[in-house]
Amino acid sequence: MPDIKVTPLGAGQDVGRSCILVSIGGKNIMLDCGMHMGYNDDRRFPDFSYITQNGRLTEFLDCVIISHFHLDHCGALPYMSEMVGYDGPIYMTHPTKAICPILLEDFRKITVDKKGETNFFTSQMIKDCMKKVVPLNLHQTVQVDEELEIKAYYAGHVLGAAMVQIKVGSESVVYTGDYNMTPDRHLGAAWIDKCRPDLLISESTYATTIRDSKRCRERDFLKKVHETVERGGKVLIPVFALGRAQELCILLETFWERMNLKAPIYFSTGLTEKANHYYKLFITWTNQKIRKTFVQRNMFEFKHIKAFDRSYADNPGPMVVFATPGMLHAGQSLLIFKKWAGNEKNMVIMPGYCVQGTVGHKILNGQKKLEMEGRATVIIGTLDVKLQVEYMSFSAHADAKGIMQLIRMAEPRNMLLVHGEAKKMEFLKDKIEQEFSISCYMPANGETTSIVTNPSVPVDISLNLLKREMALGGPLPDAKRPRTMHGTLIMKDNSLRLVSPEQALKELGLSEHQLRFTCRVQLHDPHSDNDTLGRIYTHLKSVLKTYSIQHVPDGTVIVESIVIKVTSSAEEPNLKVILLSWSYQDEELGSFLSTLLKKGLPS
Amino acid sequence: MDSDCLSLLPAVCLVLADPKQSPPDDTSLEKLLDWFKELHSQSDGQVLLQHQPCLLEFISSVCMSKTTDPAILSFTLKLTGLLAATTQELHLFDEGGLLVNVFEREAWGVCDLWEDASVRSGWLQGLLNMLKHQQALGFICGNGLIKVILQLQNDRSLFVACLANQLLVHILNFLTSPNMTNGSDVVGSSESSLRPDWVSASSEIMNAVVEALSSEDHPQVLQGLRLLSLVLSKCGEPIISTLWKDVLVPLEVLVNRGSESLIQTLITVLEAALGTPLLSQSEYKVEELLEAMLGDGNRKECFHCAALIVKLEKCPEVLKRKATDIILLPLQCVSTQPQAEKEINVVLKEQLSQKASCISLLMQSLSSLAQLAHTKYLFEDISIHSITSSVLLLLRMCSGHCPTSLLHSNAFTHLIGCCKVQRCGLDTLGALSVYEEILDLRKDIFGVLLDYLQSPDSHATVLKKTFQAVKRWIVCSPFPDLLQFISHDLFPVLEKRMCDLRWEVRDSTLEFITQLTTALNGNSGFTEALHTSGMVSVLLSSLADAEGYVRASAVAAVGEAVTASSHQMVLVSNSKLLDEALVQMMAILSQDTEGFPRRAVVQAFTSWLKGSHLITALELSLSSVLSLGGSDFDWEVKMHTLELAEVLMEKTLTCCPYAVQNFGSSEETRFTQALIKFKNFGLFDLLFNSLFDCDRPVCEKACALLVKLRTLTAETADLDNSLLVLNVCGNRWGDEVQRRYLNKQQAKASVSVTNGVTGSDEGTDCGLHCTKDISLPKILQILDLDDMQRMLTLSSDHVVNSPRSLMEDILSAAQHSEENIVDCY
Repeated sequence: MPDIKVTPLGAGQDVGRSCILVSIGGKNIMLDCGMHMGYNDDRRFPDFSYITQNGRLTEFLDCVIISHFHLDHCGALPYMSEMVGYDGPIYMTHPTKAICPILLEDFRKITVDKKGETNFFTSQMIKDCMKKVVPLNLHQTVQVDEELEIKAYYAGHVLGAAMVQIKVGSESVVYTGDYNMTPDRHLGAAWIDKCRPDLLISESTYATTIRDSKRCRERDFLKKVHETVERGGKVLIPVFALGRAQELCILLETFWERMNLKAPIYFSTGLTEKANHYYKLFITWTNQKIRKTFVQRNMFEFKHIKAFDRSYADNPGPMVVFATPGMLHAGQSLLIFKKWAGNEKNMVIMPGYCVQGTVGHKILNGQKKLEMEGRATVIIGTLDVKLQVEYMSFSAHADAKGIMQLIRMAEPRNMLLVHGEAKKMEFLKDKIEQEFSISCYMPANGETTSIVTNPSVPVDISLNLLKREMALGGPLPDAKRPRTMHGTLIMKDNSLRLVSPEQALKELGLSEHQLRFTCRVQLHDPHSDNDTLGRIYTHLKSVLKTYSIQHVPDGTVIVESIVIKVTSSAEEPNLKVILLSWSYQDEELGSFLSTLLKKGLPS
Repeated sequence: MDSDCLSLLPAVCLVLADPKQSPPDDTSLEKLLDWFKELHSQSDGQVLLQHQPCLLEFISSVCMSKTTDPAILSFTLKLTGLLAATTQELHLFDEGGLLVNVFEREAWGVCDLWEDASVRSGWLQGLLNMLKHQQALGFICGNGLIKVILQLQNDRSLFVACLANQLLVHILNFLTSPNMTNGSDVVGSSESSLRPDWVSASSEIMNAVVEALSSEDHPQVLQGLRLLSLVLSKCGEPIISTLWKDVLVPLEVLVNRGSESLIQTLITVLEAALGTPLLSQSEYKVEELLEAMLGDGNRKECFHCAALIVKLEKCPEVLKRKATDIILLPLQCVSTQPQAEKEINVVLKEQLSQKASCISLLMQSLSSLAQLAHTKYLFEDISIHSITSSVLLLLRMCSGHCPTSLLHSNAFTHLIGCCKVQRCGLDTLGALSVYEEILDLRKDIFGVLLDYLQSPDSHATVLKKTFQAVKRWIVCSPFPDLLQFISHDLFPVLEKRMCDLRWEVRDSTLEFITQLTTALNGNSGFTEALHTSGMVSVLLSSLADAEGYVRASAVAAVGEAVTASSHQMVLVSNSKLLDEALVQMMAILSQDTEGFPRRAVVQAFTSWLKGSHLITALELSLSSVLSLGGSDFDWEVKMHTLELAEVLMEKTLTCCPYAVQNFGSSEETRFTQALIKFKNFGLFDLLFNSLFDCDRPVCEKACALLVKLRTLTAETADLDNSLLVLNVCGNRWGDEVQRRYLNKQQAKASVSVTNGVTGSDEGTDCGLHCTKDISLPKILQILDLDDMQRMLTLSSDHVVNSPRSLMEDILSAAQHSEENIVDCY
C-alpha cells in the first residue's frame, strides 16, 4: 500500500530544533533544519547520519523547505548544505530568504567568539547556502520536479512565515511550521485552503493552552514600562534583531505618541535599519492595518525610537533600550544589564525564551546573585540583581483553539503533531481524534510514522470507449459521480490509458485468446453415458427455464458457453465423470451448474 | 571536584528525584551528565560514590518511584551506568541489588515508562557506559539482558535501534579483548577459557544476525545488515570470520535478490568486509559478492551498485574497472550515435527513457566520473577524450543543443534545462581539467562554458558551477590565447553578469573575478586587460550594489585588482584605480549599514599593506581606517582592524626596507619615530579602546598586541618618553587607565606610610595623579596586561558553562514556581 512516512530528527515531542523528514510518493523532503541553541557542541545540529550514512544528502533529498527564519527552524541549514554537503534546492519565502542570513550571521558571530568552538559555519558558508535558496511566493505552486510540487500559505507567527503544502500525484502533506491563528500588531492570521491533505503536520507548542488575549499582555507590558519610566528607572528589553523587536517597537511608539512621553527609546546595534528595511520591503506580508496605513505613514519609520550608543547607558534619567541579543548572553544587552542590574528602580523585560546557562535564564529563574566571569571591564565577582525582572511571552503560536481551527480549515485525513511537549500533545491528540474522527500521531524524535494513503491514479480514457458508453445510453461522464466502466488498461511509456479490448488488441498487435474454466464432477449413475447426459439435459431444462439448452448429437449439452460431457471408465461403468467447461464471461453460471450437478440428478 | 559543586549536589539530587518537580530545561540533564563523565574520567568513580552517598540515594529513589518523569529516568539510567563503570563501583551498586533494580526492563514496562524512547535509549546508554569491565559483562549476560538488547535492535526509534547495535558490537568486541580471553579464542577452539554464559551471549548475538538476514521482514534485514557492517568495521578476529561464515549464505541470497532498497546497506557491509582479512581469503567470497552485486550490467540496480563500488577505497582493481565500465554506460549511451545504439542494453535503454531515472542515472554517472578524475583513477582502456566529449555533449543537450542524430532520443527531451545534470556535469568537467590528454578539446570546453555563462536561462547555481569549471580550466591549463580569450570572450560576459538581476549571480561573478585575479597575479597582460576592457570601472560601480554580500565581494575584487595593478604602478590608470577605490572604500567603511562590506574593506587594506608596494600610498587613509574600524559596532570589523594594526606594526618595526628609516640614527631613535608614527595613525587609541571592548576576542587581540608593544618598549633602553605622551582624558580607556593608576598610587602611598618612606624615585610620580598626559610606556606598565590576558584566556563563553552555574540553574528553576512558556528563537 502506498504510504507517507514521517520521521522527526528534531521537534518530535519536543520544542528543541525542528527537522522533519517526509517521504511521499518516492520523494524525500526535509522540513526545516533547525539548531538547538542550548548546546555548544555537535548536539546543537540534527544528526544527518540517520538520513544517509555516506553524507550524500543531495542524492537522497529532493528538496529542503524552511518554514520561517527562527534559528530553531533554519539554524543548521548552512551546516547541512555546506559542511555535511547538500547541493539540492532549498525553498523558503522571499522575506525568510532575506532575513534568515542576518540571524544566522548574528548567531555565528556570538558562537565563534566562544572558546574552543569548532565545527561551526562561516560567513562565506552562510552566503553560499543562501545562494542555493529558491524563494517562494504565497499561493504560487512551485514545481520542484515533474512529480513534486509545493505551495506556500500565510502562517502569521513572524514576517515571512509560511505553511507549505507538498504534493506528489494525488497524495499531499501540509506542514504548518510555527503559525498563529490570531492577527497581532504587525502580522495577520494564518490561512489555508480546504486542501484536504492526507496528512497535516502541525506545531503544538501551546497544545493545551487557550491563551489569554494578547491585548492584555500588551497592556501589561506598557503599564510596566510606563511605571518604571515614570519613577525615573531604565527599562532594558533584550531582543533578537528581528521579529518580536519590531512588534514591541510599534507598541511603544504608538504608546509614546498617545501619552506624549518624553523618555528616550533606543534600539542598539546597526541592525535596526536593516530589520526595519525588510519590514518596509515586505509590507505585503504584514497585517491589513499596517498595509492600509502604509500610504499615510510607514509604521516602521519610528519617530520616538533612536539608535543607541554605548555611552547613553550611563546617561542619567529614564530610558527604554532594546538591545541584542535576546538571552542576555553577550554584547550590548549584557553590557547594559551589568550597568543597570544594581538599581531597583530599573527593570529588564525578557520577551522570549532563554536557554540554560544564559544570564537571561538565570534571572528568569529568580537568581539574585550572578557570578560574572570574564570581561576585562568587569570586575570579576558577584553581580547583585536588584532591578525588576519580568517575563512576557509575546510569542505568536496557535493555541489549542487555533490548532482545531486550522484542522477545520484544511480538513486533513490524518494529523501529526510536532514541536510540543509530549504530555500536552497527548491531550490534544485525544481531543483531535474525538472531535474530528481522524487518526492523530505524535512520533518522538527518531521514530517513523507511516500513514497509508489511498491515492487516486489518473487514467486517460479513449474517445471510442467513451462514445461506446454513451451509445449504451448511460449518463455523460461526470467527475463528481463515479461509475463503473469496463475496458482494458494499457500501461505504457509512463502513461495509463483505458481503451476498449478490441483497440487494446489492435494497438498491442495481439490476437484474442479464449480463457475457459473446466471442472469435473463425479456421479454414481447406473445408466449409459448417453442416458446420463439425457438426464442432465432434462434436469437442467427444469432448473434453468429461461436459458436455451441444447442437446447436441455429438454427445454434449450446451447452455450459453457452457459445454457438458459425460464419460465413464470400463472398470467402473456406474461412476460417471461429468466434464464442464465455460468461458470467463459465464463464470457465475458455470459455478452454479457445477454445484448443482455435484448434488446429483433427480431419480 | 569543586567544593561548591559538592555542596550543591545533594540538593540537586533531591530536586531531580522529586516526582512533583517538573524536570529542568531539556539540556541541563545532558550537561550534568557531561560533567559526571568528565569527573569520572578524571578521578576514580568509586571516590565519587563513596563521598557522595546522595548519588546512590538519588538512583535508588528514582527506581522506587513509578511516577518518575521519563527524562529523569533516562538520565538516571545513564548516570548509573557511568558510575558503575569500574569493578569497585559496581560492587557498591550490587550490594543492595540496586543495579538489577535499575536495569530491570520489566519494572519500567509495568509503568509504561518503557514506551518512552528516551527511557529505552537511556537504558542502552547506561549499559554502554558501564561496559568497561568483566563484571559489567557478567551482569548483562547473567541477567538475560542480551535478549532485550536484541529486541531493541529492531526498535521503532532509529536512535534506539542504532544504540542497540552499538552496544551489541561493544559486547562482541569486549568478549574478544585480550583482558577477557587472555589471548585465547572466544568463539573458536578455546571457548573453555570463557564463562559459558559469555560464549552463549556471543552466539546469541551472532545467531540473531543470521536470523535477521534470513528474515522476510525488510526492516529486520536492514537492521541485521547494519549490525553486520558495524561488527565488520569495529570488531576483530575471530568474531568477524566466525560471523561471516554464518551469514554468507543468507548474504548471497540477498545479494542475488538485488533488492533496490538494500543496495546501499549491502554495499556498506561489503565495504566493511573489504577492510578486513576476509578479503584475502577466497572462501569468504567478498569479491564474488561484490561482483554479483554488479551482475552483468543488465540489472536495473547494477548502476547504483557500480556508482557505490567506484567510490570504495580498498576495492580490488578488476572490480573497480568493471564498475567503472558500467557506471559510464549511461553517459556514453546518451551521447552515442544511433549505429552504436544497438549494443546498448535493454534495461539501460528503458531507464533512460524515463525522466526521473534518466536524470538519476546520468548524475550517478557524472559524479562517479568526477570522483574518478579527482583520484586520477581512470583506466587505460577508457578514452578520457571520448568521455570528455560525452560530458560536453551532455552539457550542450542540457542547454537545448543536440546533434540531429540524437534528436530522436528521449534523453534529450528529459535533459533540456535540467539544473541537476547541469551542475553535476559542470563539476565533472572541472574535475577533468587535470587530464592533459584532452587539451585539444579546450576550445570546445571553453565554448560550452561560455555558452552557459551567456545563456539567459542559466540558473544561478549553474552559473556558480560554470565559474568554478572555467577557473579550473584556466588555472590548470593556461594556453597561448588565454588573454585573448579572457579579454575578448570572458570579460564582456562577466560585465553583463555583474548587472544580472539576481544578487546570487552578481556575487558569484565577483567572486570569480577575485579568484581569477589572484590566480593570474603577476600576469601583466591580465592586469592590462582588466584596465583596458573597462572591467575595472564595472568593478568600481559594483561597490554601490544594493546587496551587502555583493558589495563585500566587489570590495574584495577591487582589492585584488589594486594588488595586481600595484606591480605596474607606472600606468596612470592603475594609480587612478587606487585613488577611486580608496574614496569608495572609505565611504563603505564609514557608512555601509552591513558588516560584510565593512569587514571586506579592512581586509583589503590589510592585504594591501602585506603586499608592501602600497604602504606610502595608503598612509593618508590608514588613520581613518584604524579609527573607523576600531569604533565599528561589528566586533569582527574591529578584529580585522586589529589585524591591520598588527601588520602595520610588523611592517613598520621589523621589515626592512619598508620600516621607518633614518640613516645614521640609532635603533632607539628609529623605534621612537615608529611609535610616534603609530600615535599619529591613532593606533594606540585603537588598541586601548579595544582592550576595554565588550567583546572578548577584541580585548584579547588588543591585549596581545599591547603586550608585544610593552616588550619592545621595555627592551629599548633610551626611549624618549616625552615624545610618547598620550592624553588620557575624555575617552573611555583613559578613564580606566586613570582609575587604575590612582588605585596603584594609593596602594603605594599606603605602603610608603606604613614603611615610613617619604621620598623615593617613585615618589616623584605622585604628582602625576591628576595629570591628563601619561607616557605610553607608563600606561603599558599601569595596566596589568599579563593579568588581563590571563583573565581573557580564562574567560570562556557568553553562556556560563560551569557545573556550579548549571546546578544553581537547576535549583533556582525548581524554586521558581512560575513556568516560563517554552518558545522558539
